[in-house]
Amino acid sequence: MEAILKRTAQRVHESEDEKLLIEQAQNGDREAFEQLVRRHDRDILRLAFHMLGNREEAREVFQETFLKAFRSLGRFRFESSFYTWIYRIATNVSLDHLRKRQTLKEEISYESDTETHPDRPALKDTLAATTYYSNPERRLYGKEVGEKIQDALKTLSEKERLVFELRHYQGLRLKMIGEIMGSTEETAKNYLFRATQKLRAYLANV
Amino acid sequence: MNVNCKDYQHQITLFLYDELAEGARHELEAHLRECGACKEAFDSERTMHSMLADDPTGWDVPPDLLVESRKALADQLDLVEKKRSWWRIPTFSVVFTPIRLLESAALIAMGLALGVYVSNQQARQVQPTAVNPPSENPAPAIPRNGTISNLQVVNADPVTGQVELAGEVSQPLRFHGQMEDDTVRQLLFSALRDGNNPGSRLKAVEVLSQKPTDESIEEALINALVYDDDAGVRMRALEGLKTFANEQHVQAAFMHTLQNDANAGIRIEAIDALLANPKDAKLAQKLTEATKKDDNPYIRTKVLQFVGTTK
Repeated sequence: MEAILKRTAQRVHESEDEKLLIEQAQNGDREAFEQLVRRHDRDILRLAFHMLGNREEAREVFQETFLKAFRSLGRFRFESSFYTWIYRIATNVSLDHLRKRQTLKEEISYESDTETHPDRPALKDTLAATTYYSNPERRLYGKEVGEKIQDALKTLSEKERLVFELRHYQGLRLKMIGEIMGSTEETAKNYLFRATQKLRAYLANV
Repeated sequence: MNVNCKDYQHQITLFLYDELAEGARHELEAHLRECGACKEAFDSERTMHSMLADDPTGWDVPPDLLVESRKALADQLDLVEKKRSWWRIPTFSVVFTPIRLLESAALIAMGLALGVYVSNQQARQVQPTAVNPPSENPAPAIPRNGTISNLQVVNADPVTGQVELAGEVSQPLRFHGQMEDDTVRQLLFSALRDGNNPGSRLKAVEVLSQKPTDESIEEALINALVYDDDAGVRMRALEGLKTFANEQHVQAAFMHTLQNDANAGIRIEAIDALLANPKDAKLAQKLTEATKKDDNPYIRTKVLQFVGTTK
């Protein structure tokens, strides 16, 4: 009981402390903003790295997320927790990157269909070669199962991938995932269910 | 399988993520004892969880990526702030009346030319000139021993004679405290970021290295090691980090130094720190890769010796 009270008191203290930091940052205090960044940047980078699968894009998502937060912090009204707010920005930026990548892939695939360059490696493959999964450094550590898992994750839709990432790898509760997505816990549950069914089917024969 | 089995299978997912309410959990457990199809689905999903948990490729963010990303973000924030301060300088604002306009103009000129040091006497001269300051934008007190810099004329209305100035005020600071004190640390971190003052950065890194007790200090030292322009600061940061040489991200920082630092002395310190770790074939391989083009014979020899002992 004492431990629970202590933890609750600590959480209250942390949240008050964070509120103060946000207010200071809203008044232009760069140090306060950097302290807020430090509290969440590991999680955001991890999310970006998992979602995008390579260093360069992860770094871009990281930067874009916190720059957006910096620019729009003045409009933060404490209606949600800062954690949820920053995650919402990060997930939107990640999804935008994935969509851009998809568009680029489609454009490139269209170009390669219309052009005839037999000597050139397929542009689609060139694009895939820039991903984390096919990075030689990673491949060094990768084994058959790991590769299968990565292939399986690629079969998920954007939203399924996002919910699975947030629940399985980031360990967020479905209620919070619903809030981050601007949706409901029920919607998050459905995406998680669909994601696990697809993964289960794909990995059944490994 | 009955009509409820689809619902139960939905619940299996939630159960394995500990998202199922107590009552529903008991009900599902009871159902699994009776229904072969659902039990099979449960086992299959649990196997999938085990596979994901054992994923040998891992999902760890490379330790140097966090350092790189933070640095890139800090640079971008500097740019954003620079742009902001060019267009809108909110530090302070003082309204003058026509009577004292000449005095004010003199002050502006001094501020623009030199980044004037304003004494207590001058502050007292300036303050009373603000007649009827707008209540929503009160004139801030200029500190007795403050220094004004970047002074600019924001607005000068020839009709009303009102002038608005903006600039930055700084004042000397003296602070005593323990290293554990958050304010002391924040001040030291600020000193470490002072790009124009390598002496102050060196002093800060020396103090922080004395008691590298927690993660924030460790991060500050890694940043100094990887990004500081001054070799003395980088060397001191490296020495401070040796206490954590067995930690993965510190090793990554040392490895980065080994591959990128132009100063051979610092690279030698980095290799010595890395070789203090237990013999490890993976580390040996990384070191071989990192140093194969190094022009320093000491470094190459040390690595060869290390590789030899790991075989």
